[in-house]
Amino acid sequence: MTSLYTLTDLSKGYTRGKESITIFEELTMTIPEGDFMAIMGPSGSGKTTLLNLLGGIDRPTSGSVECQGVRVDKLSEGKLAKWRSQNVGFIFQFYNLMPTLTAAQNVELPLLLTGLSGKQRKERVATALDIVGLADRKGHRPRQLSGGQQQRVAIARAIVADPKVLLCDEPTGDLDRKSADEILETLQLLNKDLGKTIVMVTHDPSAARYARRELHLDKGRFVEQVQEPAQ
Amino acid sequence: MFNQIGAVTMINLRSIPQRAGLSLATIISIALVTGVLLGFLAMSNGFRATLQGTGSESVAVMLRAGSQAELNSGLSSDQVRLIEEAPGIARDAEGAPLVSGELFVIVDGIKRSSQTEANLPLRGVGTQALALRDGFQMVEGRMFEPGTNELVVGAGVIREFSNFDLGETIRLGPNEWVIVGIFSTGGSVFDSEIWADIAVIQNLYNRGTGVQSIRARLTSPEAITELQAYEEGEPRLNLDVQSETDFFAGQAGGTAVLIEIIGWPLAIVMAIGALAGAWNTMYSSVDTRMREIATLRAIGFSGFAAAVGTMVESLVLAAIGGLVGAGATYLVFNGVSASTLGSGFTQVVFSFAVTGGSVLAGMIMAVIIGFFGGLVPAIRSAYVPLLTVHRSE
Amino acid sequence: MNDLTLIRKNLFRKKLRAILLTLSILIAFLIFGVLGAFYSVWSSGGALAADNRLITVNRINFTVSMPYAYWNRVAALDGVETVSHASWFGGYYQDPTQFVQTFAVDPETYLEAYAELTMPADQREAFLTTRDCLLVGADLAGQYGWSVGDTIPLLSNIWQKNDGSSSWEFNICAVFDAEDDKVPANYAMFHYDYYNEPLAFNQDQLGWLIINTTDPALNDQVARAVDEMFANSPAETETTTEAAFNEAFANQFGNIALILLFVVGSAFTTILIIVGFTMVTAINERTGEIAVMKTLGFPAPRIFRMVLSESVMLSLFGGLLGLGLAWLMIAAVAPVAAAFLPGLSLPPSVFWVGVGLSVLLGLLTGLVPAINAQRVKIVTALGKQ
Repeated sequence: MTSLYTLTDLSKGYTRGKESITIFEELTMTIPEGDFMAIMGPSGSGKTTLLNLLGGIDRPTSGSVECQGVRVDKLSEGKLAKWRSQNVGFIFQFYNLMPTLTAAQNVELPLLLTGLSGKQRKERVATALDIVGLADRKGHRPRQLSGGQQQRVAIARAIVADPKVLLCDEPTGDLDRKSADEILETLQLLNKDLGKTIVMVTHDPSAARYARRELHLDKGRFVEQVQEPAQ
Repeated sequence: MFNQIGAVTMINLRSIPQRAGLSLATIISIALVTGVLLGFLAMSNGFRATLQGTGSESVAVMLRAGSQAELNSGLSSDQVRLIEEAPGIARDAEGAPLVSGELFVIVDGIKRSSQTEANLPLRGVGTQALALRDGFQMVEGRMFEPGTNELVVGAGVIREFSNFDLGETIRLGPNEWVIVGIFSTGGSVFDSEIWADIAVIQNLYNRGTGVQSIRARLTSPEAITELQAYEEGEPRLNLDVQSETDFFAGQAGGTAVLIEIIGWPLAIVMAIGALAGAWNTMYSSVDTRMREIATLRAIGFSGFAAAVGTMVESLVLAAIGGLVGAGATYLVFNGVSASTLGSGFTQVVFSFAVTGGSVLAGMIMAVIIGFFGGLVPAIRSAYVPLLTVHRSE
Repeated sequence: MNDLTLIRKNLFRKKLRAILLTLSILIAFLIFGVLGAFYSVWSSGGALAADNRLITVNRINFTVSMPYAYWNRVAALDGVETVSHASWFGGYYQDPTQFVQTFAVDPETYLEAYAELTMPADQREAFLTTRDCLLVGADLAGQYGWSVGDTIPLLSNIWQKNDGSSSWEFNICAVFDAEDDKVPANYAMFHYDYYNEPLAFNQDQLGWLIINTTDPALNDQVARAVDEMFANSPAETETTTEAAFNEAFANQFGNIALILLFVVGSAFTTILIIVGFTMVTAINERTGEIAVMKTLGFPAPRIFRMVLSESVMLSLFGGLLGLGLAWLMIAAVAPVAAAFLPGLSLPPSVFWVGVGLSVLLGLLTGLVPAINAQRVKIVTALGKQ
């Protein structure tokens, strides 16, 4: 497998007052294309920060994030925005849908950044909603949907522009077991059938089990790496 | 009950700084609305006060019947003599009747504010004229010498018109005049006039011995009926006789009412705009405190207390706005001098007067804005669902 | 869906707030529109004046008269096309409160000087040849329900006849109007001779002269020639363009422009503050959503534009509603106001200035929130949730 991401000597810290706090230091790893990786670890271990660095919404203190030959950490704000719109789909714990837009409009949002015509956008939205099984809910607003349904709209939004990688931050953290399983099955499907590379942050071991491998972060270090967990 | 209301109100008021921007916007907008209203009221009150302050109950003004204004009137010296003999007329220490036949010519002055010509009354007066103006005094310089081309100028004229300073020579039409004095009658209409010797004016303006108005001091205010009866019974007289108070009150009406007719609707329309602003602020206030209100309600505070708390916040903001507006209007406008064309077709100089009554009207309007602005949000805060306690922000 | 959809949805996210803001903007522009229309009529005296028309009045003041002989003497000057004259009658109908603006004029030259006054040819002929004819403006006729053929008395509060009466009997034989609604048609005029002959005093005196020059370029020269001719006489004159004369008269009432500026300024300051602070609050509430948009790849400049467009749209929406309402109100009031404010209407210039102001208001109120939105840091904003 070719590698999608290469992280080299990645460090991230911040200063609070005079104190400087290190989240992790000199992290080096690769993420192969087609991977489904779960990042686990206690609160404050740097899981979300790592995800943010992969998604290009945060910058490392030092080291590099490379994705298919692009130095993500070196891109300007404008270029970074464009890179995100073409390469990354985000899925958040609290869905982060626009409350004023319908499900279909929420899914369409990233397509406004492409040159697609209205008709093409409509087709893509329909396909994406079909994949997550919400074709019949496209006219509903987020408030009219259950948590699981909202998260599936968010997944549709993440895949509609056909990015290579999906970055999920506690995607099931706010859901009941049944809905959570459905979401994780959908992610698995996207990984297997559509070849999306998925990086998922979670603290739920049963969620992590859906991934191909788990990565445990603790105090800024990998403490364990489990390949191809049993399903 | 009162403890509850007090507690909730204090919580509300203490949280105003968290919404400093919107609260400030409400205060300023209500202040501006109050300011506009008070500005107009100060204008109309000032104008009214000037005209009403002018009239004396014990002075009769006589004009040719139907002429309505001194400008239009014309009377002969014979008529003046008949009035001097009339009943009800007071006399001075020497026994001379206190009657003043006066001439009235409109001349052009240059308004300081616009540098354009405006109508000024040039009044030709005799020696008795001073006895007919209560509170007359020379502020600077001296009275004109009879028979000369000397002028005295009212204090209002100096404020609003160029080229009338003491000692200056001024050309009015073909004639040159020297300004020898400045007089005041305590802010009355006469302060907007220029006075000269009547004989000189009759001569320069080819008026022969004619006058335009007659003023007479009455033995008492009631004596006016005697004078009116005398005029009725004397075929050589064809005059309108009225007390000076009535004469000026009639002139005050039009302009002052017009100013108020414009001012009030304008203020009310603006108040609706400010109302929208206050409503908006109070809505935000309730919105941001949803959880807090729900918590208080869960603990056992009543919905009524929550509503009162919101209402008091709205009223306090409005009252501050009203006070700021009234204070600013007082500082900026009170005493500001202005002049406009009065119904005598000459300029009347007056000072803006911010009166207690108009401040009260402004404050009432501010509080009304606060009340209606806070009403719906207050009702809403009484019905905050208790389950909001659990809502995540 | 496009950016406009997003802007619109955000704008009306809180309906009540949007309605209240629109209402307060609407009111400011209503005030602007109505006062602007009023002011443009008020100050139109200068604009309506013909550029070759001069007014000569007694130098003492325009209420002071001048000798009749001046009329012919001015006519002889170079550069003068026509000269007419008019005198103030101070008329009222039946009761002193029913004031009627009336002038005694030289009929033929007056209608030449004021060519903008129109009437049927037969009525014009009747006015020129009928000694006791009263030519009435259409608005005035409407006000009192007069029509051609009526005989009415007008009383003067200034003049008296030899017989001691102040009443002149008139035969209404013509009604005038003008193409342009702004030209006043709220006054009446009649033959000078009919008024002058029975006068008890002030006979053979004129109120003012109206001079039409052959060329506006000669205005100054003619004005100087007239005033020099009568210099050092008992009745010196002052000649100005009609525009300057009208402007000076309007200024007699006070600095109306300043008062209107104060009112409109207050109204705009009010909404600027209300809308400005509300927009800042509204955008702050949306920080999280903006962070998500940025995460999806919306570039900062685009977000800046979207927020700015939002406030411009709000302001334009309220502004257009306000100007529209002003237009309706003025249209409703215009017929009633014709007697003292002829031609009251919302002029296109006022409308477009209003539109411009509403865009400006939108930009001003949107600038701070737009900058705030553009500066939203994704990680911080998402972390706050």
